[in-house]
Amino acid sequence: MTETDGFVNHTVAGLAEPQPMYKALRESTPVFRAPDVVVLSRLADIEMALKHTELFSSNMDAVDLGNIRPLIPLQVDPPEHAKYRRILDPLFTPREMARREPGVAQLVNEMIDRFADRGECDFHEDFAVPLPCTVFLQLLGLPLEDLDKFLEWKDGVIRPEGADGYEGRHDASAGVAQQIYDYFERAIDDHIASPRDDVLSSLIAARIEGEPLTRHEILDICFLFLIAGLDTVTDSLDCFFVYLARHPEHRHQLVEQPDILPSAIEELLRWETPVPGVARVAMQDVEVGGCPINKGERVSPLLGAANTDPAEFPDPELVDFRRNPNRHRAFGGGPHRCLGSHLARMELRVAMREFHRRIPDYEIKPGTELTFTAALRSVESLPLIFPVATS
Amino acid sequence: MTRVEVDADRCVGHGRCYTLAPDVFDADEVGHAIVLVENVSGEQQKRAADAECNCPEDAIKLSP
Repeated sequence: MTETDGFVNHTVAGLAEPQPMYKALRESTPVFRAPDVVVLSRLADIEMALKHTELFSSNMDAVDLGNIRPLIPLQVDPPEHAKYRRILDPLFTPREMARREPGVAQLVNEMIDRFADRGECDFHEDFAVPLPCTVFLQLLGLPLEDLDKFLEWKDGVIRPEGADGYEGRHDASAGVAQQIYDYFERAIDDHIASPRDDVLSSLIAARIEGEPLTRHEILDICFLFLIAGLDTVTDSLDCFFVYLARHPEHRHQLVEQPDILPSAIEELLRWETPVPGVARVAMQDVEVGGCPINKGERVSPLLGAANTDPAEFPDPELVDFRRNPNRHRAFGGGPHRCLGSHLARMELRVAMREFHRRIPDYEIKPGTELTFTAALRSVESLPLIFPVATS
Repeated sequence: MTRVEVDADRCVGHGRCYTLAPDVFDADEVGHAIVLVENVSGEQQKRAADAECNCPEDAIKLSP
């Protein structure tokens, strides 16, 4: 298979191990023209594209999720972007996330309780999917019984059925998008009537130079949260546990040296890069690595390729839980650095710590063939088997 | 002694520095880095150097 086939297939049906494809692209065609998009795979080019939002915008032309206005803050570029980050960043700092950590630990343990004595679970279905969605509902202050509705919606906009290439995406997602707007309209009304200690109430109370956010702005932030906060942590958990199930020596290291966990998470984020690429659009005719890119063309900086670029990472194919330095770009970089990165890190840390404390040994059920999803790297199902603790 | 600086124009709040060297760096209210101790030596200097080489935005500068 050529790297070209590899990339095109990757966008259609996910790859279990994309790293060889990243390497092939980086070495043969670091600026690669796929049918719909120009793919960047060298760290230096990717870093440049992420920093220079005036050349490579993440506005509404970069990706269509059925939304009718720009998602905030993703689809707004500097300088306007900064005013939104000034009110959103404080809600997602490591310190703010630490405050939520005990609640997440309790939730994680309740989830493990449901399968710990069964000796098996579908990790994707029973853990990786419900965990971030439940955390999201709690964080925003939304009823937990809306969980199933949210799962349906995030899949409806991230993996719409009947979307054929870029052009079909809007129509395929638009119906679900409208339901999301309608739902959050009602949730905002509810929070205005009875404010509480949650992110939605904070958005309603927020002021930019003395002015509150408009109803549209709050809706556009909520929509972004829904697509950015649910699937990505599911993807990370799936990728990490597939890796650890297949690499018992790495798993044992985590169990025997729990203090290594934070740096192991950074290394798994680097190696797996659960969000393999981001979407941008060229704002003017520009040249990258000697290749012309025309104004209006869509560009995809491939974060997974940046994270395995030997120009930055010695022995990039070696997964070393003590790797230092590890300047990975799994959360992107520049002004659009993932707003939820500290929430994701906290969820991953708690999930990995509690799961391995209670279930240190597990393997993928023999006979299982894993199917990775396209674009964002989750698996459709992850059956795990493990010994049941006898205590 | 080594001097520690953060370039506020480069910092976007990855938070690696105050996670790796919490006795040298802290977060401001939006989670961007601020320097707690401007002149470091010994173990503190090692942690500051760790933070410097782990910053994805090259926003930290150590100088003699």
